[in-house]
Amino acid sequence: MKAKSAHQSSIAPYLKSAVILPILTALLYTLLFMATPEKALAALKSSLNIFQNVFFPLGLVLLLLFLLNAFLKPAKIAKLLGKTSGPRGIALSAAAGIISAGPVYAWYPLLKDLKEKGAADSSIAIFLYNRAIKIFLLPVMIAYFGLFFVALLTVLMILASLLIGYCIGLFTKMDDAPAAPR
Amino acid sequence: MKIAISADGPDTDSKIAARLGTAEYMLILDPETGEFEALPNMGGPPQRAAGVRTVMLAVGKDVKTLLTGYCSPAIREQFRAGGIEIIAGLSGTVAEAVERYKKDHSAPRRGLSAAPSPQTTGRYRESLIDAAERSVRQFFGMLPVLVCVIFLLGAFNVFLSRRFLAAVFSGNAALDTFLGACFGGIFAGNAINSYIIAGELLRHNVSLIPVTAFLIAWVTVGIVQLPAETAALGFKFAFLRNLFSFISAIIIAILTALILSCSGKIL
Repeated sequence: MKAKSAHQSSIAPYLKSAVILPILTALLYTLLFMATPEKALAALKSSLNIFQNVFFPLGLVLLLLFLLNAFLKPAKIAKLLGKTSGPRGIALSAAAGIISAGPVYAWYPLLKDLKEKGAADSSIAIFLYNRAIKIFLLPVMIAYFGLFFVALLTVLMILASLLIGYCIGLFTKMDDAPAAPR
Repeated sequence: MKIAISADGPDTDSKIAARLGTAEYMLILDPETGEFEALPNMGGPPQRAAGVRTVMLAVGKDVKTLLTGYCSPAIREQFRAGGIEIIAGLSGTVAEAVERYKKDHSAPRRGLSAAPSPQTTGRYRESLIDAAERSVRQFFGMLPVLVCVIFLLGAFNVFLSRRFLAAVFSGNAALDTFLGACFGGIFAGNAINSYIIAGELLRHNVSLIPVTAFLIAWVTVGIVQLPAETAALGFKFAFLRNLFSFISAIIIAILTALILSCSGKIL
């Protein structure tokens, strides 16, 4: 009985997000068609133009998702984290962040555990920042902004992740340092 | 060697959880000493990637075996990838399951095992099918919101865009960039939505710097996830990480525009 209620409560938020936005969108278009049919039709055409832009890249997204799921399991990526320190640890954290997928919520328990075991805050920060680089969405990003922009942004973000990791390491170390004897 | 047991309560008298994903606790137990640690289900809303979260937790705790009730094939595959053996389909109390496990441990097991099996090809095929199923699920999972965002942008383009954008993005570069980063930080969801919104903003002649700041902040700053991040990593870490990410969104946006402009590659 208990398990059933937990299961039901876990489904409700999914239903909310999956249903409410489509209902609101459908409602909006119904109202628009009733008020100004010509403009509503123009809005629909504008939406279809956007669909055309993303249609082909979305196919590649599905392919990349499959390749990531087939060859990069979260558990394997998790093993890259927090095991080594120094430049190698930093590189592994960044790489793990880039290749990791799925909601960030899935990673919090592991990161908490690694932190408790002594993993550096900087490595965790680097991992989290690099999660922003979404390999499987690159086709859509390139279709919109071009290869040069995407490559530039990716490189700058990786560099920023290292700088942020360093800064967070500095700030949190300050807290951990024992008070100087008087 | 540690084993993990998904349970409905924080002690060994609790029942084994019927489903791994909805277990309220995970008990990490040393079968030799009997010492255990009870970990509550944490790290965000329970519906978000609960199974994978359990895998991460088990990997982090160096667990070798998991005892549970039902476990989906997809999550089984994740445990296998992490080198963790799963014994599923259990019921009764945690203590009973551990006793059974200790008795069976010396004998060869017939359950689900992470050890290499003779049917490696079959497992590989199963793994690929599982990956395909998960990819399709993830892909179609993001589609409803994506489709709605596109339809809303279509309406926005026709009904609101110029007036609204002129009111929001005044043309003041500093303020616009700050606002772009703020919007990116506040909104959450799949990054693909931010690309499409950013693409439309550029089409409406919003400057590249605020649009880039918006794009970066969307994926690096997480106001919505802040409570979960704080719970896992502490307020100071979460606050600093989000603050630095916000600042980085602005700086990277400026750098990107500068480099693009210098190289003559205008979007």
